[in-house]
Amino acid sequence: MKTPRLSRRKRALLNCAPIGKERIRDRSMRSAVFRASDSNEFANQQSFDRAVAELVRIIPIPPATAEWFSTKDLFSPSKWTWKKTLRNPAVLAVGIALVVIAGVLVFQFVARLNDFPGSATARKLLTIAGSTRSVVLDPVNAEAGTLSDLFFMKHGLEHYDVPSEFADFHTIGCRVFEDDQSQRVAQIWVAEKRMQFFLFPAERDVKSGAVLRFPGWRYVHQEGWIGAVTEHGGVCFMAALRGREKDLAAYIPKAKQ
Amino acid sequence: MLGDPRKAQEIFETTLREAGLRAAHGELPNQRFWIFRDARWRCLEAGETDLQAEPLQLEERDITSAASSQIAQLDPTQLAIWISAAPDPQRTALALFYLDEFDYREILELAELKLSELSRLLALGRRQFQAWLDAMLPEKTKV
Repeated sequence: MKTPRLSRRKRALLNCAPIGKERIRDRSMRSAVFRASDSNEFANQQSFDRAVAELVRIIPIPPATAEWFSTKDLFSPSKWTWKKTLRNPAVLAVGIALVVIAGVLVFQFVARLNDFPGSATARKLLTIAGSTRSVVLDPVNAEAGTLSDLFFMKHGLEHYDVPSEFADFHTIGCRVFEDDQSQRVAQIWVAEKRMQFFLFPAERDVKSGAVLRFPGWRYVHQEGWIGAVTEHGGVCFMAALRGREKDLAAYIPKAKQ
Repeated sequence: MLGDPRKAQEIFETTLREAGLRAAHGELPNQRFWIFRDARWRCLEAGETDLQAEPLQLEERDITSAASSQIAQLDPTQLAIWISAAPDPQRTALALFYLDEFDYREILELAELKLSELSRLLALGRRQFQAWLDAMLPEKTKV
């Protein structure tokens, strides 16, 4: 039987057909061999190839060459070393990525350690403190402690009291505004070290609505500003200035921290 | 590849020694078959320094069903000499194919050939070898 009509590629594959059918590894070769399996031409080629391969197999290997293949691997795989592994670009990239991820996680964990109810609002207000110009505040010439009456009388804000530690500070200006959560915030600017005070509603439990209290003073940092926050009567008070914790700590009695 | 066992031995040992040195320095190439390719190029270089056979237009014959019995009567050295006398890349193609250790894709990679080229070289080699067999063992073809 003659070889059936095959495409040029299939004929090329047939010419390269492996000597044993069990060695066919790809589908196109298997298909070409299957189509030609009944042809005499291909059968002759296969028996020719088998006979030549048999002859090749009995070519004697010189003893000196055979020694090389006696027992062990010719080359042991190159040794695994830490130095070599670390120099691998992929390992290096993964390592750097892991360090960055670990750094971010540690940073977030440390930041969370200092969290307290209302800390998120306090941070936002520190950003506002950094961008506020004194001209946007209403000029007030009074002691900070006296402004709670003004907030109550003019804006209906109860318990917006400046703590006694800061009550004697001379005020330059103040204002009341709503933040992005529609909470009413009182902002006071005092002459001392260009310090600013903020009074804002304390954070409440979502389900019960109860005020989430915390004792003493807590510090928050944001964009080079430092704030000391305390809660009283459902209202948080924050004293803020540009600087470090020690600049503010001087105003806050240690026993109360 | 060379038709000379002594030269083949030399090239085999040189290739392995070179590979051993590269392995010791941790510089083994990451490519498959690099050692075979290396050995092949050494064989081709060694072959270039030998006396070159004049290019001949060899006779070609269709493969017959009697070919296997004709081949069985040959001495392996005769086959080795016949293959080593073939011009490259036909020599590489025949040597690698009849070693029966590589599939056609591996041979293409090793010998840096295209499928159509390998196919043509093998088919031509078979037909030429058949013609040589018929010339060497004429009485068997009449059976």
